[in-house]
Amino acid sequence: MTFNKRSLITLVILAIITVSIYYFFTRRGITYMWHWEKIPEMLFYHGPKSADDPVVRLRMGVLMMGFVLTLKISVASIFFAVIIGTVVGIARLSNEPVTRGLSLSYVELIRNTPLLVQIYIIYFFVGSMLRLSPFVAGTAALSIFAGAYVGEIVRAGIQSIHKGQMEASRSLGMGYAQAMRYIILPQAFKRIIPPLAGQFISLVKDSSLVSVIALADLMFQGQQAVARTYYAFEIYFTVAFLYLVMTFTLSMATQYVERRLAISD
Amino acid sequence: MIKAQNVYKTFKTPDRREVKALVDFSTDIKKGEVVVIIGPSGSGKSTFLRCLNRLEEIDSGDIIIDGVNINDKKVNINKIREEIGMVFQLFNLFPHKTVLENVTLAQMVVRKRSKNEATEVARGLLKKVGILEKENGYPSQLSGGQQQRVAIARALTMHPKIMMFDEATSALDPEMIGEVLDVMKTLAREGMTMVVVTHEMGFAREVSDRVVFMDEGQIVEEGTAEHFFTDPVHDRTKLFLSQIL
Repeated sequence: MTFNKRSLITLVILAIITVSIYYFFTRRGITYMWHWEKIPEMLFYHGPKSADDPVVRLRMGVLMMGFVLTLKISVASIFFAVIIGTVVGIARLSNEPVTRGLSLSYVELIRNTPLLVQIYIIYFFVGSMLRLSPFVAGTAALSIFAGAYVGEIVRAGIQSIHKGQMEASRSLGMGYAQAMRYIILPQAFKRIIPPLAGQFISLVKDSSLVSVIALADLMFQGQQAVARTYYAFEIYFTVAFLYLVMTFTLSMATQYVERRLAISD
Repeated sequence: MIKAQNVYKTFKTPDRREVKALVDFSTDIKKGEVVVIIGPSGSGKSTFLRCLNRLEEIDSGDIIIDGVNINDKKVNINKIREEIGMVFQLFNLFPHKTVLENVTLAQMVVRKRSKNEATEVARGLLKKVGILEKENGYPSQLSGGQQQRVAIARALTMHPKIMMFDEATSALDPEMIGEVLDVMKTLAREGMTMVVVTHEMGFAREVSDRVVFMDEGQIVEEGTAEHFFTDPVHDRTKLFLSQIL
């Protein structure tokens, strides 16, 4: 990935804002004893884990473990959300009234209820019936939630492709599914990269809500660390920064893909 | 080859008015015949073409192509469409694919040809329409005339028995119309069955076996080009010709 001028400027601005906030707190006479020195060990430390695992080596600290879990659940949820969204997006445009009705109900139901409630329902109700682990339940909730939004984005993308594309494909003898796969969806996905990127970034941030089902993600680990140490500012700043690392990388990656795909335009 | 009998087709406009596109429309097109359909806009010319490969479903009547009633429930429409090439006013090339990919994709997906075989067929046809040197370009890098020639090559890769042209030169800059018409003329001379909706009266005069003049969903007058342009019978035809010639 080319780290170009624009992303550099963005980073510099973010850094300035962060430093300004920091100075605002320190210079306003707030007597807060900063303990930044405690943060590195929450990311990485060298030493034994516990009495059961006394090997001395480089290990991930709690925040880094949370970071990895958030990364895992985000990647998995994005993957499933795209699959759900593609199916729903196509179903929304079906000629079949039942398919259309079902997909619309799904979208409306999911978009119009809070994610937090959905997470609780999926974990405590569906999850306990099917014996889902918190990770599976959390991934399911996030995928189903984001899938509804992705579905609407995909639908809009498909509708934005000139109908002549479908007609040309069909008149060559391609079936509906073949035309979708080879002609319509590739063009639609290219066009919806910007809104999809926004949706994926939302999903990474929304994933912090799975901390309520005791899933040890970045948010959960942060809360636990604060409860243990009371270094609330340092830890939450770090947590925010780690989320920013993920979302900013995602942003840059999608912009890169967008530029690469623009070649045929 | 193509037999249309008492075909009716009505469109509903967004404000729920009904527009009669084809009214009791019947015609016969023989193998190897080049039929040019002309008429004012909204006369049902394009609708007729689009009904022939079921891009539009007819309300009633029969369309029989090569002995098969294409509106039969049991008919696999994709099989029929393989045999009917269609060229559109706006080309409708696939913008995300290169010229070569545009011309090979349907061969591989529909006809199940290998990539090598498809490429060979594609190159042969791109050469025929005089655009082989652009095979690695994208449609957006081509002029309108070049795009339309690629679109014709794309339709020909399926080795269709019939070629339909839906105002294939209407969206082109004037200086590019000739190159596309030349390709169409070559096809006509080779004996392709062609149904051509066009405003190019020169083309109609030069290569058509029959000119069909449509208005309000019906055939007003038809006959050889010579008869049609020199000795039209109906007032409606005379009026139309006086407006365009």
